[in-house]
Order: sequence, then C-alpha cells, then structure tokens
Amino acid sequence: MAILVDKESKVLVQGITGSAGKFHTKRMLEYGTQIVGGTSPGKGGQEIEGLPVFDTVDECIDNTEADTLVIFLPAPFVKEAAIEAIYAGIKFVVVIPEHIPIFDMMEIRQEAKKYGATVLGGNTAGIITPGEVNLGIMPDIAFSPGRVGTVSRSGSLTYYVADTLTRSEYGETTCVGLGGDPVLGSTFDEILMMFEKDKQTKAVVMVGEIGGVYEERATSVIKKMKTPVIV
Amino acid sequence: MRLFEFEAKKLFAEKKIPITEGILAASPEDVTAAVRELGGTAVLKVQILSGGRGKAGGIKKAESPDEAFTLAEELFAGTVKGYPVERVLVDPLLDIKKEYYLGVTIDRANYKLVFIASPSGGVDIEEIARISPEKIFKESFDIDEKIFGFQAYAIGKKLGFTGDLLKSAVPIIRGLYNVFKSYDCKLAEINPLIETTDGKLWAADARISVDDDALFRHPELAEMGIEKRHEEGEMTEREQQAREWGIPYLDLDGNIGMFPGGAGFGIMGNDFIEYYGGKPANFMDSGGGPSPERLAKMLILLDENPDVKAIFGARFGGISRCDDFAKGVIQFLREHGLSKPMVCRMTGNVWQEGVRLFEEAKKEDPEIFEKIEIHGIETPIEEISKRAVELAKEAE
Repeated sequence: MAILVDKESKVLVQGITGSAGKFHTKRMLEYGTQIVGGTSPGKGGQEIEGLPVFDTVDECIDNTEADTLVIFLPAPFVKEAAIEAIYAGIKFVVVIPEHIPIFDMMEIRQEAKKYGATVLGGNTAGIITPGEVNLGIMPDIAFSPGRVGTVSRSGSLTYYVADTLTRSEYGETTCVGLGGDPVLGSTFDEILMMFEKDKQTKAVVMVGEIGGVYEERATSVIKKMKTPVIV
Repeated sequence: MRLFEFEAKKLFAEKKIPITEGILAASPEDVTAAVRELGGTAVLKVQILSGGRGKAGGIKKAESPDEAFTLAEELFAGTVKGYPVERVLVDPLLDIKKEYYLGVTIDRANYKLVFIASPSGGVDIEEIARISPEKIFKESFDIDEKIFGFQAYAIGKKLGFTGDLLKSAVPIIRGLYNVFKSYDCKLAEINPLIETTDGKLWAADARISVDDDALFRHPELAEMGIEKRHEEGEMTEREQQAREWGIPYLDLDGNIGMFPGGAGFGIMGNDFIEYYGGKPANFMDSGGGPSPERLAKMLILLDENPDVKAIFGARFGGISRCDDFAKGVIQFLREHGLSKPMVCRMTGNVWQEGVRLFEEAKKEDPEIFEKIEIHGIETPIEEISKRAVELAKEAE
C-alpha cells in the first residue's frame, strides 16, 4: 500500500519533448514507473524513449488509459496544462516547475476540487513510492520500501529524511513533496489524512518550513490522527 | 513586487478610482513649485516601498511654499525606515471628515480572495485588528468570481455609507477588486479612503504588491514605467551583487561559506554547521539545475568574501544533476581558482559520475584541486559538516 501513486499508476508526462522532460522520463522509467506516454502539442506522433507522444491529454488517455500526470513545462504554461488534464479526467497531477503565478495555482486548485483531483506543487520535487514509482525529479538512491510516510515542502529535505529512514532500516511507504511555491496544490493536512488511511504507514515524518500557514493548519489533523506524526 | 504610491495610483485611475491629482517632485525646489501650483498648501509624502510612512516621519503637512521647502530639504537629506528619499509626492490637502480602510488580499490557507473593509481607516490594518477587531469586515471570493454591484453595496453598507456616499463608494470597491484581479496582485489597499466635508470620497493613499511570477503577462506595467524591482531595504554589497545575479543570498556573521543546493537543504546545512560548533558566513539557494555560470557566481560570492575561511558544499542532485554540477565547479576552479579550502558532498542523480569527474580533474591538475575534498554518498552529511568546521578553525 501507498498513497497517491503505486505500481498500477499509469503516468503521462506533459512536456515530454523538452530537455528536463526527456531526461527525467528516462530516469522515471528506469526506476520502474509505468509511464505510458507524453504530450507536446504539435508533436503528436513522435516517440520519446519508446513512448508515444500525443498532442492532447484526451488522446493520450484514449490510447493509454493514463490516470496520473507529471508536468515538465515552463511556469506560464502550467495552468492550461493542469486544467486540460483535470478536465480530461486525470486524478493526480504533479507540478514540477516553480514560479507558478498565484492566481493560476488557485484556479488549478479550484478545478481540481470540482473534479475530485489532487495536485502537488508547484515547485515540488515530486512523489516517490519506493520500489514502485518515482514521479518527478527525486534521486532514487535515498529511498527504500518500508513503513514510514514523509511529507515536506522541500525536495532536498525529503531526500535527507528518506536517506535517514533508509539507513535506519525503517524505509518509506510514500514520500510526498508539497512544493516550495507560496500557494500549493495540496496542503499538509490533506496529505496527512491520506497517510492516516493507509494501513502500511505506521508513522509519518512531516518537515515544516518557514513562511506560510500550511503547517499551522496541520495541527488540528495531527491531533485527530492515530498514526504518530513526527514534526 | 511592491509599487510606489504614485505608481499604484496610476493603476487606480485606470479603474476609475478617484485619486487626488498629486505632483511628483525630485528636489526641494520641485516640491516648492508643486505646492505653489496646488495653491500654497499640500501634503508631502515620501515615495518609498514601505508602509507606515506617517509614523516614521515620511508624511508632512506644509502650510506654505516656504515651509514646504524647509520640510522637503529635511526629507530629501534623510532616510525614512532605512530608505533614501528620492521622490516626494505633493498632494492637495483634503478637508477630512472620516477615514476608511479598503483592501483586497489572498487568503492562502483557504484559497480565496478576500475583501477587507473597515470604517476605522488611517492606521494600518494590523493596528485596526488589534484595537477594534469588531470593525473589520471580510468578504471572500473564489478566484474566478467577479464582484457584482450588490456585493459592493453590501460592503459599502457595512462601512456605514448611505445615500449618495454609498453610491460613490460602490465603483471604488469594485474598482479596487478589479485592480487586484487585473494585475495579479498579492495586495491592493486604499488606506485611508477619505470622506471629505463636502461629501466626496478619495483614495488618499495606494498600496499595491504584484505577484512577481505573473509579471510576464503584464507588459503594460513596464509600459507605464513600472519596472521589476526588489523590495528589501538595506542590503550588503554582496547581497546586492547576488540580487543582480538572481541568487537568493544573505550574509551572516560566521566564517564558513555555504555552497548548498536548494533552500530547504541550505537551511539544514546551516543548522548542521552551528550544531558542530561552526558559524555560517551566509545563506544561499542555488535554485533548480544551476548553470555553470550560476555555480561560478555562487563561488565568487564566497571566494571574494574575506570572512570566509572554508567552504561547505552539499549537493543532492534532483533536477540538478551531479555531473552538471561537477562540470560547472571544475570549470570554475580551472578558470578562476579557489583561494579557500572546500569540502563538498554529492549525492542524488548521477552522483558517481560527479565524483569521478572530480577525481579525474584532481589527477590532471593536482595543484588546483589540492584543497578540494570531494565525497559521495558514503560520507554522511554530519561528517562533511564537522570537516568544514575543522577546516575553518585551521584557517583562522
């Protein structure tokens, strides 16, 4: 068990033809992530890493049954891309780029809520369910399958915490990067509730950061949780 | 990005919010001439990127052109809240009956836009919240919502407006909301909104902060002369240099130069150094995937700082690959050299290749890399931190 992503997740990469998209697609594939295709408007029909490239998310879903999406696009294009995916029925969207305009992220969040989708980021290193899926830009060496969930806003602190959990042989269920932008697609309290429902997760490490209100809002959820949370 | 009052007022005027027609002046002589033009009396307001100017002595009432000259001389000679005074807005004096507060901001926790209004304007909103929280009214909007006339009427009524005054408040309330939406603002504020004795409303001050990340879609701001800028007050020369180079950087008072990866890991690196008895000389954030040029600039900031005795490098390759990082650093060392010892750890994406590149370079140019210690994942970050503290102690 894990939260948000596992080996069944069928992943679509938006911006697969860009240099970051290409590089990380290869890495994610090597990890065993089930990537089924990518999009790049105007470049439909091409292939990247042996994967089909489509013009639109709709086409990609029709052909591949993708249900999860990771975005490698410049910030000004993220709003359109994310909302396209949400309307097309994608239930989980990971926004890697940083500096997404605040209004854009608020709109993305609003549409996600309407359609029952979850968004991570912007400016997130991604999410990893060790041994199954690596979605985003996290290096895989720090992670190993295990019992502890992590949630943090910082990519580098996620690696550090996972590295410590791996070395001490607790291992991780899923490691979630919320992202470093001022307005985020998901918040600590929401991710903590997902961990609470996951039977395999025996404890959660949450790493807060200066600035913002999301840490404070997590406290009421932590009080209600049965799963211990280390903050 | 914060706007000056005179810039914010241009945006207000675009949305038909009544503003006083002030005159911008850059010298005591200009101020005096402006006061004459306004009929001999005026308010002089320093144009700085900070609120609370009144309390800090940045707003003065001039009863005559002569008095204005003396006041302006003092204002231009000094600083207000640490900012040098380069411009003064000379505004007509108003016959004030009452002052109100209007503001729009983002409620990040609830993902809403929130309109804030109070009949107790003239002091900042935190102050109103402290002394009379019952006099603050809030109305939340979804990001894609417009403000309708009836909603503006409701806000106006809460402020106590009736009759003609209520009618004239409505376009101001809608205008402020529209300014906020049109320019991707983080804050748009009229404080005070002044009701004059002749029954008119004026936006006497204007505060706007725009989302830097959305500037790309507002070329009209640059066309109006509103250029991208930084907001901080006093910065050290190095901080200014870093700012010009686009590197988030802060000087601290220690002797270990911090050459980290991202911000979170950077802060933790600083914590580690402190924990092992050292003192960081700075905080820095490389940003994602720094180019060789950027890495060079980061190292120059540290190398040219005489307080730095040793450099702590830690890279966890995420979007930034360790081989690119190694290539950038090696190129810098070959071209520029490093006058200080450095201990550096690389883990994450392609770290083995990064370490290999360094070892190869070390063989080729042993002198250049003599004081550079490179580690991979096998050395925990704690050891690197201890080593940096040792190196700094040895160098002192």
